[in-house]
Amino acid sequence: MLFKSLIAAWLAVHLMQSVHAQEAAPTFSGTTLNTGQPIDLEGLKGKVVLVDFWASWCPPCLASLPAYNKIRQEIGTSDFEIIAINVDEDIEDGLKFLEKHPVDYPVLADPDGQIGIPYGIRNLPRSFLLDRDGRIIATYKSFKAGDEVKLQQEITALLEQ
Amino acid sequence: MIFRPLKPAFGLLLYFGLQNLASAATCSCAGVPLLASIDTSAKEKGQLFITYNAENHQISDLVSGSKDVPDETDRDRHSFSQVLSASYAMTDRWSVSALVSYVRHSRDIGSSFLGKTTSSGVGDSVLLLRYTPVFITPFSRHEVSLGLGSRIPTGDDDYTDVFVLSEDMQPSTGAFGGILWTSYSYAFNQAATLQFNTSANYTYNGVNDREYRFGHEFNFAMGLGHSIGTRFSYSAAFRYRSTKPDRRSGFEIPNTGGKWVDFIPAVSYAVTDKLRLGLSGRIPVTRNLDGVLQFTTSYAYAFSASYAF
Repeated sequence: MLFKSLIAAWLAVHLMQSVHAQEAAPTFSGTTLNTGQPIDLEGLKGKVVLVDFWASWCPPCLASLPAYNKIRQEIGTSDFEIIAINVDEDIEDGLKFLEKHPVDYPVLADPDGQIGIPYGIRNLPRSFLLDRDGRIIATYKSFKAGDEVKLQQEITALLEQ
Repeated sequence: MIFRPLKPAFGLLLYFGLQNLASAATCSCAGVPLLASIDTSAKEKGQLFITYNAENHQISDLVSGSKDVPDETDRDRHSFSQVLSASYAMTDRWSVSALVSYVRHSRDIGSSFLGKTTSSGVGDSVLLLRYTPVFITPFSRHEVSLGLGSRIPTGDDDYTDVFVLSEDMQPSTGAFGGILWTSYSYAFNQAATLQFNTSANYTYNGVNDREYRFGHEFNFAMGLGHSIGTRFSYSAAFRYRSTKPDRRSGFEIPNTGGKWVDFIPAVSYAVTDKLRLGLSGRIPVTRNLDGVLQFTTSYAYAFSASYAF
């Protein structure tokens, strides 16, 4: 059992490709947890996109989700979108979190790492800023109060390019 | 300094006095926690950790085999070691760690100043290359790491206080050593706040210029670590340590080598996202030492500070 688990973990890690700035973001699609609508990253080309990985057990995510929601409200969604990827093993935990801390942007569930592993997610929260062509422009590790100011400036600058 | 003119006069007396004590009870000290200091490693590409570790190691228990023996020499022996280490992750799987140590040994025998000996200086250094094929993520509960390295004799091993001091009082071992290192961790939950950790290392010691070889050493540690929130964590571990007897010119040195089991509690607190402070202890649980009599660890405690760049 342990041996099988180790092999599975080894495979997961070796499939994990650490994504780098200026590289095309790994694509994904799915049905959102909070709105039930289908969403496809490819379909968002032409917009600046923030892909945010989070979980209900991640303390900084308590602050990052509302902060990102506020950024989205202030910038609008005509040229910008946020996609949140919840990685809770139990999807119910993610849903309970969203009941207490609702967000307007789409949230996908990724309990098995099908999205997270290609993005090389090791710690949470982890966010990726994509330009209009779907290339990764910046990566953000963790989150603390005040980080949203710099992030909003970078999104605005990217929108003006 | 005021005793310096007296040294030649008391030299022989001191030398023969200490030689008698030394042959009766040498010291298996493991004075410098080099590999313990290298546990904080960089794990993500581009990450750099700098860690400072200071340990006070009291080595005044007199033991015969596994039995404590009353020490009638009124002896006090301790080491204070400071270790500065850096760990850099070249990739998510490959990292390199390097450390340098500064050591101060002190030995008091009886109440007379004649029985006081101290030495200090740069100790050994370590270079360790690590490969982590499996690591803990939100999607994996296991972490396996393998390491290969070398202990490098960067300090003095011929420190003299009237006479050249015995090897256990030297800041450096004076010999290169080869290190094999491995660790395994299991996260009990996805957040990895509760982990089972185990590690093992083996050090093959070379021979120094004085034909002295410290006994090859094996360490195995296992324990649990728990994090509360993002700042506070604590752990408890047991460590088994086994060393072969030391040798000079191929001949075994009496009263060296043995087996130890220590309990190692530790707490740490992240002052900021980048700075973490820690305290740890080392408490003997049981030991079975080679020879007739050995002085060995009474206790040790350490302070550490690590900064992530």
